[in-house]
Amino acid sequence: MQLSMFSYPLNLILALIWAGGIYSLWRYRKKSRIVSFMLSKAATVSAILLFAGFCLATGLTGRREIMSSWPAAAVMLYFMSVLLFVLLRGWRISHASGKGRIRWRFLLNHAGLLLAVSSAFWGAPDSSTLMMRVEQGQPSSDAVSQDGRYSRLAYEVELTDFRTEAYEDGTPSMYEADILVGGKAVTLKVNHPYAVSFGEDIYLSGYDRNWKDDSYVCILQIVKEPWKYAALAGIVMMLAGALLMFVRGPVRKVE
Amino acid sequence: MVTWDLFIWFGAASVLLSATAAAVSAFNEERRIMRYIRVRTLAVALALMALLSLASFIVGLWISLGRPPLKTMGETRLWYSFFALAAGLFTYLRWRYRWILSFSTVLATVFIMVNIFRPEIHDQTLMPALQSPWFIPHVTVYMFSYSFLGCAFLLAVYRLFSSRTDVMPAADTLIYIGMAFLTFGMLSGALWAKEAWGHYWSWDPKETWALVTWLFYMLYIHLRLLGKGSDRLLCLLVVFSFICLQMCWWGVNYLPSAQDSIHVYNR
Repeated sequence: MQLSMFSYPLNLILALIWAGGIYSLWRYRKKSRIVSFMLSKAATVSAILLFAGFCLATGLTGRREIMSSWPAAAVMLYFMSVLLFVLLRGWRISHASGKGRIRWRFLLNHAGLLLAVSSAFWGAPDSSTLMMRVEQGQPSSDAVSQDGRYSRLAYEVELTDFRTEAYEDGTPSMYEADILVGGKAVTLKVNHPYAVSFGEDIYLSGYDRNWKDDSYVCILQIVKEPWKYAALAGIVMMLAGALLMFVRGPVRKVE
Repeated sequence: MVTWDLFIWFGAASVLLSATAAAVSAFNEERRIMRYIRVRTLAVALALMALLSLASFIVGLWISLGRPPLKTMGETRLWYSFFALAAGLFTYLRWRYRWILSFSTVLATVFIMVNIFRPEIHDQTLMPALQSPWFIPHVTVYMFSYSFLGCAFLLAVYRLFSSRTDVMPAADTLIYIGMAFLTFGMLSGALWAKEAWGHYWSWDPKETWALVTWLFYMLYIHLRLLGKGSDRLLCLLVVFSFICLQMCWWGVNYLPSAQDSIHVYNR
């Protein structure tokens, strides 16, 4: 089964069905066994342990494909579902007087993590990474995907100038490329990508010398990731949550 | 003009002031010195002066270089020592741990000493991928986190061999602070990775081990919140998480799987 089968809008529809399903279970079937299990201590602990276990397996073997396998996807779906149930229950404390209080630290940490993880999970079918070699003075729109398939860009890229600087020992200290993207002049260097459009960025990934005439060839990476803004929002929420964790410290239980 | 030749004065002043602050803070903080000054006030004032000494050197160097001093390894160590002292002072003010100033002083002193006695590595070069404003915060928050989680590890080992039951709340505080900074480190890394390599997360061995570490400390925090697990089990979990942290910090370089890691720079 190909991941691209689930690309937009199917992934968005499935994500909405998933979130809506969990919301209605929590809202209308509060007493059911599934809801009480998902809100149990065992669910929280097992979700963290399963996620950690898969990461540990990846870390020990160095095989990244473990995290993109179907069992790992099932674990992530379980992890995200537990997170969503816990969030629905705990994001605010309601008092008998009717006045509630939002639990900001809890909300930022849990919702941030859920947003970051789910944008990676549901956004995966829409994401792609292409590589292309661009030679000086030769416009091209041919790119290759990670699994070696040929792909044609909607615009042409041309290398106009390339500069390198080196330290005294010869190691490169800086390199940058002047390129034309669809006729627009852009300078690319490491840590400074160029945003072609919403969710599509061009990175300077490396360079090479052409053996025939000693001209430069630059290697570009084109990353399409339209869900990156959701991931960014999640990361920013988690950063705020971590700040509150530092400032407020552990929850002191009255025993 | 502020140059590295002057650093020995600023560095030594900072170490002396900070060490005095640490020594003073070891006394009962409500005690008064010369009738008027509380121990706590004096310790804070001395620690602030230590910070000021380093800060003025950084500002001076910044002005005379005409660029922010964030480029060479020597300049990085300058910020390490500054942040170690700043974070130590903040923690002392917030949590009133008496030993924290001694701890941050030792950490800062190591980096100041390296800058004084091994000046030849000031000008070590940075490869292009590391030339980013993210470099300093990413590395310093990790160093700070490691030191707190290191203390939590020592506390957990102590608890495993003693019958005292009152150490767990202190371990909680250390782990909360350590985890907050571990989260800053991991997420600043993700933001930087997006800028440098195109993806927030790519399951690089170092990233994977950082996440493993993060998840096991998270498990500890949740078990404590849920009131689950004996002290013994929880302490073993802290020890295990700290071993994962060591894998992430340096152990990963020795794994065969890390040979294509984007985080191994010393080749």
